[in-house]
Amino acid sequence: MLPYIARRLALVVPVLFVTSLVVFLFVRALPGGPAIALLGERATPEAIAAFERAQGLDRPLYAQYGSYLRNVLSGDLGVSTRSRQPVAEELLQRFPATVELTLAAILIAVLVGVPLGFVAAKRYQGPLDQASLVGSLIGISFPVFFLGLLLKYVFAIRLDWFPTTGRYDITSSLDTRTNFLVLDALLAGDGAALADVLLHLVLPAVALATIPLAIIARITRAATLDVLDEDYVRTARAKGLRGAIVDRRHVFANALLPVVTVVGLQTGLLLTGAVLTETVFSWNGVGSWIVEAISYRDYAVLQGGILFFVLVVVLVNLLVDISYAFLNPRIRFR
Amino acid sequence: MSIAQAEATELAIERPVSLSRTALVRLRRNPAAIAGAVIVGLFLLMAVAAPLIAPYGPNESVGGLASTPPGPSAQFWFGLDEQGRDLFSRIVFGARLSLLVGFVAVLVGLSLGLLLGALAGWTGGRTDALVMRSMDLVLAIPPFLLAVGIVTLLGPGVLQVMVAIGLVTVPQFARLLRGSVLAQKESDYVLAGRAIGVPSWRLLLSHVLPNAIGPVIVLATLTMATAIIEVAALSFIGLGPADPSLPEWGRMLAENASRLQNAVHLVLFPGFAVVLLVLGINLVGDGLREALDPKLGR
Repeated sequence: MLPYIARRLALVVPVLFVTSLVVFLFVRALPGGPAIALLGERATPEAIAAFERAQGLDRPLYAQYGSYLRNVLSGDLGVSTRSRQPVAEELLQRFPATVELTLAAILIAVLVGVPLGFVAAKRYQGPLDQASLVGSLIGISFPVFFLGLLLKYVFAIRLDWFPTTGRYDITSSLDTRTNFLVLDALLAGDGAALADVLLHLVLPAVALATIPLAIIARITRAATLDVLDEDYVRTARAKGLRGAIVDRRHVFANALLPVVTVVGLQTGLLLTGAVLTETVFSWNGVGSWIVEAISYRDYAVLQGGILFFVLVVVLVNLLVDISYAFLNPRIRFR
Repeated sequence: MSIAQAEATELAIERPVSLSRTALVRLRRNPAAIAGAVIVGLFLLMAVAAPLIAPYGPNESVGGLASTPPGPSAQFWFGLDEQGRDLFSRIVFGARLSLLVGFVAVLVGLSLGLLLGALAGWTGGRTDALVMRSMDLVLAIPPFLLAVGIVTLLGPGVLQVMVAIGLVTVPQFARLLRGSVLAQKESDYVLAGRAIGVPSWRLLLSHVLPNAIGPVIVLATLTMATAIIEVAALSFIGLGPADPSLPEWGRMLAENASRLQNAVHLVLFPGFAVVLLVLGINLVGDGLREALDPKLGR
């Protein structure tokens, strides 16, 4: 097991290296550049040249990449051409927001999706099964940003149950130490702040959770149906085990494996969705940061942000692979 | 006779019929798939006959400029936008764009993906490894971010957006088809074909591909649904088709996202147009998947 994890972790390095190179080249292939985006279309060639010299953008690409790589390895992701802030610092500020949002969404999707799919399979072809199938199809047909706007309109503007934007009431005195606001509120032992933070989290998390929820429910249903057909389930029933025990130990435990895979595969989708959800709810995370960086050709921010996304996807997939061993003892790693 | 028995006898009679034929029969018995087909059909009709259905032109100002655009009324079913254009007419014309984008994007992804997948699966060896590893690399990047990247590279035109969204789907098609081709390659009829000297390319084109195409059709349908959502999403973050006169649903939504308070109809109607069309396509795709599944003969 340990050698397997070590080998997989070692593979992360070349993947990140290749990604960094691809992102680096891609960002520089974009039409226009930070000079024009920042100084405007009518900037004089002299002003642009001066800007590029100051930023080191006039050097050959391989030299730029070389120093970029050296800096990254020492934890320096460069400076945003727009905000003049170090990218690493801003990333540390923003990534907790994205992680908090996506974790909340995964939690909702799994806690609702898995039981829903399981019950649907148990009542195969019954009304609940049919309803969950149609419901999940409707779920995956909603663009996440439209769902976000819809939730915002109904529950924030019309009913006024939830705040419309942001992560917390900025007039509150919450100490945002870790910037994981739920954690911050818990650390401070501040009940009112916790309630405020959770209220801000509900709508974006629900919007982001809908599509993964629909997919997870469908996969759970399909996996459970497969397992229900297995001989060992019939055997367990035949030897007189109670239905609830068969369901829990034989059916559910075995149906969980594909579900875990799918939860892992959803990470990419969730991060994508986070880009849109963060935009709708003015959520100061990595997603909305990247969207802004595109229009400003903010190279350092784009490189840092995208690299962060890829790192998350790679690490989550690693976690998923490792979790197989715990969920299914039949799988052995070499 | 119970329904199950009736179905059993029916299936027994249909036994020698091809899978595509049984699929059609199964599809017609699936109410959800029929509902989906009706929805898609209505949108197609809307797209084709847009000038006949829409009471006004998509860019015709009938109400003048208004900071608070009037909502739905008897005269203007879906209300007017801030430039006094009839929202219903714009949505009807918008169906053309969305369907076109979905269709072309799938065409791009499907043709390239089929080519690469068939090549990898049929030749095997190094080509296979090379093609599939590069596909895996692309798959590691979240698809929407990749589409964002390609559009920023290619520039913001309708064609560029369609190509970007299509390119993103290539790895999925390639993987699916490679798998099917690999499975078919070792089957008895291919061996028999080889034994009697059928040329390799002909085996691939007229025997293996037709047998591997079922799942590809399903994926193509479902991809079309995703493509339509992705165009709207690109427009939403300002990277959609640049021409402001185009009645693109996602763009209509994006432009009015800040008007939820006083003109929510400008968000609701284009949004539900996307949802309804995508749902229709998904229903058809889902029905197709069930109908084409040979394991579901029960």
